[in-house]
Amino acid sequence: MPEPLMTYLVIPLVKIVVILLVLILGAAYLTFFERKILAYIQIRLGPNRVGPKGWLQAIADALKLFVKEDLTPARSEKFVFLLAPVLIIVPALLVFAVIPFGPSDIWRLTDINVALLFVLGVSSVGIYGIILGGWSSNNKYSLMGGLRSAAQLISYEVPMGFAVVTVVVMAGSLSLVRIVEVQRELGVWFFLPGIVALFVYFVCGVAETNRNPFDLPEAESELVGGFHTEYSGMKWAFFFLGEYANMIVISAMATVLFFGGWLPPFPNLLEPLWTSSALAWVPPPFWFLLKVAAFIFLYMWFRGTFPRYRFDQLMRLGWKVLLPVSLANLMVVALGVLMLGERS
Amino acid sequence: MSWWDKLVAFIPLELVQGLGVTGKYLFRKKVTVQYPEQRLEPKDRFRGMFGFSEERCIVCHNCAKACPIDIIHITDHFEESVVDGKKRKKKVLDRYDIDLKRCMFCGLCEEACPTKPVAIWLTTKTYETAAYERNERLYLDKVRLQTWDGVLPFPGVKAPAEGGMPEDPKAEKKAAGGEGA
Amino acid sequence: MESAHLKAFADAEEMEISFGPQHPSTHGVLRLMVKVDGERILDVKPIIGYLHRGTEKLFERETYNGCIPHTDRMDYTAAVTNNQGLVGAVEKLMGITIPPRAAYLRMILAELQRLASHLVWLATHALDIGAQTPYFYCFEERDKILDLFEEYCGARLTTNCMRVGGMPFELTAGWTDRCRAFIDQFPAKVADWERILTKNRIWRERTVGVGVISAADAIEWGLTGPPLRGSGVRWDIRKVFPYDRYDEVEFDIPIGTNGDTYDRYLVRMEEMRQSVRIIRQCLERLPEGPVMAKVPKVIKPPKGEVYFSVEAPKGELGYYLVSEGGDTPYRLHVRPACFINLQALPEMVRGQLVADLVAVIGTLDIVLGEIDR
Repeated sequence: MPEPLMTYLVIPLVKIVVILLVLILGAAYLTFFERKILAYIQIRLGPNRVGPKGWLQAIADALKLFVKEDLTPARSEKFVFLLAPVLIIVPALLVFAVIPFGPSDIWRLTDINVALLFVLGVSSVGIYGIILGGWSSNNKYSLMGGLRSAAQLISYEVPMGFAVVTVVVMAGSLSLVRIVEVQRELGVWFFLPGIVALFVYFVCGVAETNRNPFDLPEAESELVGGFHTEYSGMKWAFFFLGEYANMIVISAMATVLFFGGWLPPFPNLLEPLWTSSALAWVPPPFWFLLKVAAFIFLYMWFRGTFPRYRFDQLMRLGWKVLLPVSLANLMVVALGVLMLGERS
Repeated sequence: MSWWDKLVAFIPLELVQGLGVTGKYLFRKKVTVQYPEQRLEPKDRFRGMFGFSEERCIVCHNCAKACPIDIIHITDHFEESVVDGKKRKKKVLDRYDIDLKRCMFCGLCEEACPTKPVAIWLTTKTYETAAYERNERLYLDKVRLQTWDGVLPFPGVKAPAEGGMPEDPKAEKKAAGGEGA
Repeated sequence: MESAHLKAFADAEEMEISFGPQHPSTHGVLRLMVKVDGERILDVKPIIGYLHRGTEKLFERETYNGCIPHTDRMDYTAAVTNNQGLVGAVEKLMGITIPPRAAYLRMILAELQRLASHLVWLATHALDIGAQTPYFYCFEERDKILDLFEEYCGARLTTNCMRVGGMPFELTAGWTDRCRAFIDQFPAKVADWERILTKNRIWRERTVGVGVISAADAIEWGLTGPPLRGSGVRWDIRKVFPYDRYDEVEFDIPIGTNGDTYDRYLVRMEEMRQSVRIIRQCLERLPEGPVMAKVPKVIKPPKGEVYFSVEAPKGELGYYLVSEGGDTPYRLHVRPACFINLQALPEMVRGQLVADLVAVIGTLDIVLGEIDR
């Protein structure tokens, strides 16, 4: 096989398939873990009937959704109704094109120099899926869910952007690989100087993924099912997968931006340990996934603890708290970077 | 409130506290009962499936009168028999039906029963009375009330026909007194 | 025609939403016609009757003791206090004084029931506002209370545990110890839930200033129970018209100041602690003796009418009994707490947001079984 064909077609294709498979399976299994973790917080056992200890529950759920009747409401906007679930899941999966799981080229699909911009741009398309889904269902509850999510998107995209810019200022690059590399070279991860940015980023991330305490677009007790009230079967599964894939995206981005991506924890203190023969074989993606898992656990812990914001309060939090805080933080960090001089 | 207090109040400590509580419960022993495999045993006074004893019943209709929703249907007739040369009239039970599907398990029939020990009782610990065909399965005549044909008894509980009846309080006392003496 | 339809739709500023009767947070089969402008509520019209079973009419054909199981099914989260009101009304008409032990038993069971009912309220109220975990913590505790009920009277929910003239059963051996063990561990659990909710900024934002009703309005609407006390009116049937032996135990009536959802939340949380206090005193003083007064086998109250009310967990639960001297009531009217508390709902939510509607429904703590009867 000619060399270019190999590098530009076959290997990326294999990688894409692997990433997609892992991601979709991971998202499916996140539902299982979420149910388990929530159950354990709520002093119950959670799913444990399908397969050993319930491990096949995610498969059973997926199968059920596959064979379930796919209803389209008679007076809905058919094409948009169909388009919405696609719109929500495709951007979520697309983001993983640029996320680096490890230091070398095998561990990532591509490394573009404006990766961060790409991520922000693509992931904000996802929200249209919710708005369109809510609108096209021709259901009042869905419409309200869609409107709420539109408001949420506008309020939280901005502070999130500023939080990310903080990292860009510190790293001096938009490339995700470069951002991690800078953290390695400095020996300090960005969550230390950027603790406020991390806080803002994560809060906005939770809001962007419509998760508790910001899960108002689908607030069950108010809007029945929110934007996906009318969806069933595979279309509904797409919304569901999209939500979990988005959670993975936000967690992965938090890991890359603030927690040193694939680097093993405490690089300064435990350097000898990680390079020792006992642990040197651990592939870098392991650390990456570990950190992502920690963030996702936090998501679930939040869901198990907090009540839900009201939508005007959510807007107030976004505009009156997070936006000024992230702006001020950006200025402080920029000043700090200026004082400490040029990054080497 | 000074600006410092406001700043401190801005830090969501109470949210962390809430996370602490749920985190604590995460590692607590779980309270789930895995139902078909594990069962909680109902308490002794638990009002469940009916038990009925035809030999104890004196056909007084008190249970039917006490029933707030009239689901106990009794018919009887008199039979004459000669005991010690005297003619005695005796009530004989023809029909003793309980429409279980409407029963609200209040236990007033058991309380109204004048016999000691009672002829109708609900303290059988048996509660799995779900049925596919409720008109057939949940309408119990006097035979099914005693044999529990088609009823799933609580593990360890016997049907009235097999001797699963509440003890006679007097007999128990007598037996205990007899041992003492 | 199409364009006219579209134009009418585009010009409409109000939208009418049918909220329920199968909505997840209407606590049963309440249906609300909600008129909204965007998310702001212009008007709410409750539509009830989906759970109507004609209980009051049924009473007229039942013997007095036969009425008791029917009352279980009115407010099905607080069967004991329903029983208590009914037997109290009949006893008042007949002039029966129940033995002290029976009175204390009634108080213990009623306060346990108040705990159980408030636990259901907290569980569902928190769930409506989005905090799902307290639900399970509350139901764990409630299960322990129901276990105590089951041990005493044989049923967990529809207890049917009182009779005219006293109590049908004596306590089982060891019941008081188990009850004491329960109330000893209970306040720590309340503290845990309070750590999750009381100071939580999201919880406060969702409840403070939501569903406000002033003391004067609350009285005008005839609110009772925590919705009235949350507005700062110190009114509790247990204190103002003591029944059973409530005049012999010490307890406080918690009241709020602002009459909003948060105050009602605090009132109910404090009521739980006060209930524990009452139960503890009752267990200490529980006298020996019979549990049943001498009553005729067939209960026939004299001709006359009587009103008797108890402080049910949801508010004042009153029974208006008219007797013609027979063994069945001529008329037995129920003054349900929930039905009257629900009437203030449109007043409380007008001008607020849809999300507040579920918070206010939760804080009114309605049970449709009692509203529709």
